[in-house]
Amino acid sequence: MSYLFASALLFALGVYGVLTRRTAILVFLSIELMLNAANLSLVGFARAFGLEGQVAALMVIAIAAAEVAVGLGLIVAIFRHRESTAVDDLSELRG
Amino acid sequence: MWLLLTILLPLLGFALLGLFGKRMREPLPGVLASALVLASFLVGVGLLLSGGARLEVGWLPGIPFSLLLDNLSGFMLLIVTGVGFLIHVYAIGYMAEDPGYSRFFAYFNFFIAMMLTLVLADSYPVMFIGWEGVGLASFLLIGFWYKNTQYADSARKAFIVNRIGDLGFMLGMAILWALYGTLSISELQEALEGPLKNPSLLALAGLLLFLGAVGKSAQVPLMVWLPDAMAGPTPVSALIHAATMVTAGVYLIARSSFLYANLPDVSYTIAVIGLITALYGALSAFGQTDIKKIVAYSTISQLGYMFLAAGVGAYWVALFHVFTHAFFKALLFLASGSVIHALGGEQDVRKMGGLWKHLPLTRWHGLIGALALGGLPLLSGFWSKDAILTATLTYPFGGLGFYLGALFVAILTAMYAMRWFVLVFLGEERGHHHPHEAPPVMLWPNHLLALGSVLAGYLALPHPLPNLLEPFLKPTLAEVEAHHLSLGAEWGLIALSGVVALVGLWLGYTFFQRRTFPTWYVTFEAWSRESFYADRVYNALLVNPLKALAEALFYGDTGLLRGYFGLGGTVRNLGQGIARLQTGYLRVYALLFVLGVLVLLGVMRW
Repeated sequence: MSYLFASALLFALGVYGVLTRRTAILVFLSIELMLNAANLSLVGFARAFGLEGQVAALMVIAIAAAEVAVGLGLIVAIFRHRESTAVDDLSELRG
Repeated sequence: MWLLLTILLPLLGFALLGLFGKRMREPLPGVLASALVLASFLVGVGLLLSGGARLEVGWLPGIPFSLLLDNLSGFMLLIVTGVGFLIHVYAIGYMAEDPGYSRFFAYFNFFIAMMLTLVLADSYPVMFIGWEGVGLASFLLIGFWYKNTQYADSARKAFIVNRIGDLGFMLGMAILWALYGTLSISELQEALEGPLKNPSLLALAGLLLFLGAVGKSAQVPLMVWLPDAMAGPTPVSALIHAATMVTAGVYLIARSSFLYANLPDVSYTIAVIGLITALYGALSAFGQTDIKKIVAYSTISQLGYMFLAAGVGAYWVALFHVFTHAFFKALLFLASGSVIHALGGEQDVRKMGGLWKHLPLTRWHGLIGALALGGLPLLSGFWSKDAILTATLTYPFGGLGFYLGALFVAILTAMYAMRWFVLVFLGEERGHHHPHEAPPVMLWPNHLLALGSVLAGYLALPHPLPNLLEPFLKPTLAEVEAHHLSLGAEWGLIALSGVVALVGLWLGYTFFQRRTFPTWYVTFEAWSRESFYADRVYNALLVNPLKALAEALFYGDTGLLRGYFGLGGTVRNLGQGIARLQTGYLRVYALLFVLGVLVLLGVMRW
């Protein structure tokens, strides 16, 4: 149970980070935090019910890595273009 | 073809002046317009001398466009174009330097063209075209100085009151069509020669046509527009009152005499309305302070005389009075115009007086016009008025009551005619102006009209003396058998009306030079000034309730619109509110996403 509590806490922190941070990088980090919270609960479930949860956790890690690769690429591109990574500056798609 | 030309010439003037008038230099539009009317007059004379003309063109199925110039319409054509020409010439001087100079003459020519259509028509629908045409022209001319709201209102009043009469005209036409299947006047004339098919319905048709005449000729109860029609420039008043529009009603009755001769009851109604109008107009003329309105009420009164004559069956006498009236009424108006011109636009007779020594020629015009109107023996007005008086006794639909009523009106006429003259030309000067005599272009038409006012009556002298007009007009009018008075009785009546006119003139001449008036007269004058509250009664009974209804409907309408608008507005606001969510701020979306998930989870839990 305590794993799940930790996971929930971690997830809530991540959500809070996503909602409050202005910089795209930190938003990104917060998302990582939420993913890790999910992983933590998956691993916790795996302990209790069997190994499938571990597989799902590995899957999440792989996807998170891919996402970071793409996301960071985007952030770098945007930064080059606008000299800023503040998400509030990106309210319009116009270049 | 020549017949059509009489109408087309002034119409051409209307088109030319309407299109190119602005580019013409000042006197040219007036000269052109006058010349075209004169040309129309000459063509008319030529046609009349060659024995009349007829034109029929296929037009609407069953209703040919037919024109007819016989003695009756030829007679009217000469009055319209003859007097109309003189008024045109006068207007060249009167309207000088008006910004709407060419527009004025374009309307004037249009007026003449439409009046000729009315007069020459041989079928009621064609007459109706002219009828509406003069209505339109009078609207344009009365409201000629349209920037003055009051003038524009007067124009609309004339137009709207006339609509009531026009409805009567149209319904009358519809009944005639239903009864006889034709609206050609000549064909109807033939159809009515036998026994009548449906006398009561025919009487209704006659009454409805008469209603049209009542509107156009400003008879009681549709007389309220005519005094207001003074808003237009003075030549307009002269043209409307003397030669054209208002006599159209009399002409309609005379043209339809074949109908009215068969309808004694309707004829009686016409005579009664005529007498009431004559009395009303005469009484109302006393209190007026506007130089033109005095003359305007005298027109109403004189038109009443004409209808009285037409009502008792003396159609040619009605036209005789139209003829003499055209001269002295045009003269009175144009003399008034010269006075207004001399005083730089002053129209209030209370600020005039003493113009006798300042206007050496216009004073004679005014005097001759007033005396002819008042019926001074040997002037034109005397002969025609006397013919009407005699006709009320000798014609079958007449009677002693009509005679006495008309005689009483004759005294009043003489008195208010003198009042007009005394207030304008005699006494001491009451204004602070520097009067100057009118230019020759305005004086010459008046000379000719004054000549006509003196001589026009000699066209039809009473019995043993020569009467040219009656045999000339008789063939075109219905036969109504008048019983002849003995020579002594007839000349006795003439002497009586002569004495009455002289007494009236003398009374008017002496009475209105007084400084103070008895109280009964002051009271009467106050009533008369408001023309016996006819306008107020109309406003209270008809105009204001209708206005209130219109406003209620307007508010209902705006309420309804506001409702629809409100509904639309709510939906729009909702849309705008939702659109505001679409900000593009990533964190807002994220927040909403989170909230959404929380809600979903909560819903699932619950």
